[in-house]
Amino acid sequence: MISFELNGQTVQVDAAPDTPLLWTIRDHLKLKGSKFGCGMGLCGACSMLVDGESTRTCILPLAAVQGRKVTTIEGIGHPEMMSTLQSAWVEASVPQCGYCQSGQLVSATALLSKNSNPSDEEIDNAMSGNICRCGTYPHIKTAIKQAAKDLKKGNGRLQAVSHFDPSTLKQEA
Amino acid sequence: MTTFTPESKAAESNTANNISSSRRRFLKNVSLAGGGLIVGLPLTACASAQLPNESQSALQPNALLQITSDNQINFYLPRSEMGQGTYTGLTTIVAEELDVSPKSINVINATAHDDYKNIEYGIQVTGGSNSVRTHFLPLRHLAANTRLVIRQAAAQQLKISLADIQTDNGKIVVNGKALPYGEFADFANKLDFPEDAPLKERSQFKYMGKNAPRLDGLAKSTGTAQFGIDVDFEGLHRAALKRCPVFGGTVKSFDATAAKAMPGVKSVVKIHNGVAVIADHYYQAKNALPKLKIEWDLPETLSAFSSDSTASDNGKGLFKTALDSDESTNAFEQGDGLDSLKNADTIMTAEYWAPYLAHATMEPMNCTAKLTGDKLELWVGSQAPDLAKFAGAYYADVPKDNVTVNSTFLGGGFGRRSATDFVAEAAAIAKESGFPVQLVWSREDDMQHDVYRPAAMAKFKVGLNKEGMVDSWTVKRSGPQIMPYTLDNIIDGVMPSFLPNGMVDWMSKAGYSIFDSLTVDHASVEGLYEDYDAPHKSSDHVTVDPGLPLGYWRSVGHSYSGFFKESMMDEIAALQKQDAVEFRLKHLKNNPKLANTLKVAAEKSGWNKPLPNGHFHGVATHASFASYASQIAEVSVKNNQLTIHKIVCVIDCGLAVNPDIVAAQMESGIIYGLSAALYGEITLKDGAVQQTNFHDYAALRINETPEIEVVIIESDEAPTGVGEPGLPPVAAAVANGIFAATGKRLRSLPLKLES
Repeated sequence: MISFELNGQTVQVDAAPDTPLLWTIRDHLKLKGSKFGCGMGLCGACSMLVDGESTRTCILPLAAVQGRKVTTIEGIGHPEMMSTLQSAWVEASVPQCGYCQSGQLVSATALLSKNSNPSDEEIDNAMSGNICRCGTYPHIKTAIKQAAKDLKKGNGRLQAVSHFDPSTLKQEA
Repeated sequence: MTTFTPESKAAESNTANNISSSRRRFLKNVSLAGGGLIVGLPLTACASAQLPNESQSALQPNALLQITSDNQINFYLPRSEMGQGTYTGLTTIVAEELDVSPKSINVINATAHDDYKNIEYGIQVTGGSNSVRTHFLPLRHLAANTRLVIRQAAAQQLKISLADIQTDNGKIVVNGKALPYGEFADFANKLDFPEDAPLKERSQFKYMGKNAPRLDGLAKSTGTAQFGIDVDFEGLHRAALKRCPVFGGTVKSFDATAAKAMPGVKSVVKIHNGVAVIADHYYQAKNALPKLKIEWDLPETLSAFSSDSTASDNGKGLFKTALDSDESTNAFEQGDGLDSLKNADTIMTAEYWAPYLAHATMEPMNCTAKLTGDKLELWVGSQAPDLAKFAGAYYADVPKDNVTVNSTFLGGGFGRRSATDFVAEAAAIAKESGFPVQLVWSREDDMQHDVYRPAAMAKFKVGLNKEGMVDSWTVKRSGPQIMPYTLDNIIDGVMPSFLPNGMVDWMSKAGYSIFDSLTVDHASVEGLYEDYDAPHKSSDHVTVDPGLPLGYWRSVGHSYSGFFKESMMDEIAALQKQDAVEFRLKHLKNNPKLANTLKVAAEKSGWNKPLPNGHFHGVATHASFASYASQIAEVSVKNNQLTIHKIVCVIDCGLAVNPDIVAAQMESGIIYGLSAALYGEITLKDGAVQQTNFHDYAALRINETPEIEVVIIESDEAPTGVGEPGLPPVAAAVANGIFAATGKRLRSLPLKLES
C-alpha cells in the first residue's frame, strides 16, 4: 500500500510499486485528465506536479511518490473554478485536439509558480518537454503571458483548488 | 422532458426511412422520440450550385438540430472534432441563423448514422478540409428555417402577426417580453417546416467572421474533455496487441505460457493480425506482451524492402528505376502535353524525393468494444464513425445494425483516424476473449503500424520559351497510391448491406488490383501541375509499391507536391536570375487569388527589403482544398545549422467563420509541416518500420518553433478549407530560404544540410 497526497487529499493505493504513476492515477484512481502519449517521458502528455515540479509520470514508479504531493490537472482547477492560467487558456483558444493540454497546463503552472514574468526564452525552456502535434505553441505563449499579467494584477490564482473532490468530476463528451 | 438519445433517433429514422420517403414525415417521426422540435437537413436540396456533388445522392433528411420544450438547443455535430475547430465552426454557423449565442448550444458528437454522412463523400468521414465549406449553406438554411418555424409558432400561439415577432439570443421577443424558443417547440413541430427562410446578410452577422473562444476550450483546458482512451466502466478490461513487425504477416504459432503468468493477465487470444493480452489494467497487458513467444509467417514483398538498399529494385532505387522507365499513366494533359517539350528554348529538369511519414497523433490509437450476444457497442474517437461501425460488425461477426458507435473527441486525427484498423482489432479481441476490452496502442505500435503518407519521387521537365516564360510544365511521379489501401476500409461501407460478408471481403481484397489497373488516384499527383500558367502541361504517374499500408496524411498528395512544385519553380526563377516572387506572379495570371496571397505575403514579410545580417527569405505558394496560401520563411544558416526565424503566412479561405481558429490552423499546418520538413522520415528494414517513438521520429517543440504571422484575406465568399492548406508550402519556403542563404538546393525531405 502506497500513500501520497493527491490534489490535496491523502490517498492510499493498492497497486504494484513499479506501476507508473500515470496508470495508477488513470486506472486505479480514475482521474482521466492526465494522458498517455509515449511511455518514455518524451512528450509530456502525462505531466503532473510532484512537489511542485512538472514531472513525467509515465516513467515514474508509484513507489517514488510515497509521502509526496502530486497535483494533476484536476487539482489545478475545474470547469466551475478554473485557475488563472486555465482561464487565459480558454480565452486564448489554446487547445486544438486538446490531448496534450493537461500536460501543457501542468508545465506552465510549474513555470509561473517560480517565475511570475517569464520571457519568451524562459517559456521555451520550461515548455520544451511538452510536445503538441497540433502546434498550439504560439497560442500557449500568448496564454502564459496573459496569465502572468492577470496574476500580477491579483486576478485569480495559479491553483484554483486546494482540495479536489473527484465526485465533482464531470466528463464532457 | 424526454431524454433524446442518438440511439433512439437512429432507430426511429430507420423506421421512418422504411415507411415513407417524405422528409416531413421523417422529421415528425424523429421528433416524437425526443419531444420538442427536431429538424433535419436535406443537405443536397439546400446545397447551392457551387457544391460539386449536388446531383450525386438522393434527397436525404438528416436530424441535426433539436430544440426541446425545456429550451435545450442540441446540435448533433456531424463531423469529428480532432483539433481543427469544426465543433466551434459548425456550431457558430447554426447559431448565426438561429439567432442564439453559440455558447448556449449543447453540442453532441454524433453517432454513426446515415444522417451524418459527409455530403461530398457519401460516407461519414471528416477529412479533406471540407467540413465548414460543405456545411456552410445547408446548416444556415436549416437554422434559418428553424428560426422561422419557431417565429410562426409564436405568431399563432400569441395571435400576433409574424412581422411583429423578433428574436434575440434564443428568445422570441414580442411587446418587450422575451420568451425562450423552447416554449414554442412543441407547437412549431406541428407546423409545416419552411424551406425558404431568407439568410442573413453579411452585415447582419453577430457571430460569424468574429473571434470568439473555442467552444471546446473549457473542457480541454480542465482535463474534462473525453477522448477514446478515457472511456471507462465497470468490468472493462484492457488489451495490448503484438502485431507482426512486417505488415501483412500472420501468426504461425505462439506460446502464451509466460505471458499468462504475468500479474493481472486474464486472457491471451489470437486475432487476424496478432496476439492480444487482456488484463485488468493497461500497464499489466503491456508488461506481459514481451513475454509472448510468436512465430510469424512473413509477407514476401514487403519483407524484401529496405530503405537503405542501393539496389535498383529496392529502397529509393525502386522509385528511381520506375521514374526513369518509359512506363507511366497519364493523369492530366493540356495543350500538346509532353510533345511540347521539343519546341522549348530551354528545358529544365530536376528530381525530388519525399519519404514515408507517420501521423503520430498525440493520443495513440485506441478503441473500446463491448460485445453482448450479437450486439456490439464501440467507443472510439474516429474520423469515420460509420466505417468504424462496419469494421466492428465484420470483425465481431454481428449484423451492422447491431453496432452502436459512441463518438468521443479525437486526440489528433490528421487522417490517421479515418482508418479503422484499430477498431477491427478491438472488435476481434472482444469477440475472441469474451471480455469488454479497451485496446490501447503503445507509441511504438502507433509509429510502427500506422497507415503512412506514401513516399514519392518526382521528375519535372519544364520547357521555357525564348522570353524565359514556362511553355510546357511536365512532371512524372513514382510511388505507391493511397486509394487501393483505403478500399479495404471503405468498400464495406459503400456496398449494399444485403451482400454477404464473404463477397464484400473478396471485393475489398481484389480492390487493389482492380483499382490500380484502372486509374491514377488523384491524390498521387494533386498539386504537381495545377497552379501556374503554361500553355502545355502533362502529369504522369507510375506505381511502385513495396507494400507498406498507406493512408491520408494531412494535405495528402499536396504534402509532397507543394514541396516539389515550389522547389522547381524556385529553381527556374533562380536559373533565369529572376526574382522568385515576380517570376511566380508572371505565371499566376489565371490564378488571381493565389497571386494576391503571394503579393500580400511579399508585402508583409518585407520581401526584397533589408533583413538582419545573415538572414534570407524563401517563398512558396500553393492552392489546396479550395484555398490559397502563400508563405515566406526567414531563415539563417550558421555552421551548417538552420534557424527558422519567422514565417509569414497569407491565406485566402473565403469567409473566416472564426478568424482565430483559421489563424490557429495555419500555425498548426505550418508546425506539423515543419516537423515533417526537418525531421519526418519513416524508414524500413526488411519490411519493418525502424522508428519507434518521439526520439527517432521527432516532432517540432516550442523552442524550435519560429514566430508565425498569419494574414487572412478579407473575403465575402463562402468558406473554403483551412485544416490542410497551411501545410503544403512550408517545406519549400524553408528549402528555398536555405538556397538563398547557402546556394545549396535541397531536393529531398527531410531537409538535411550536411548532405
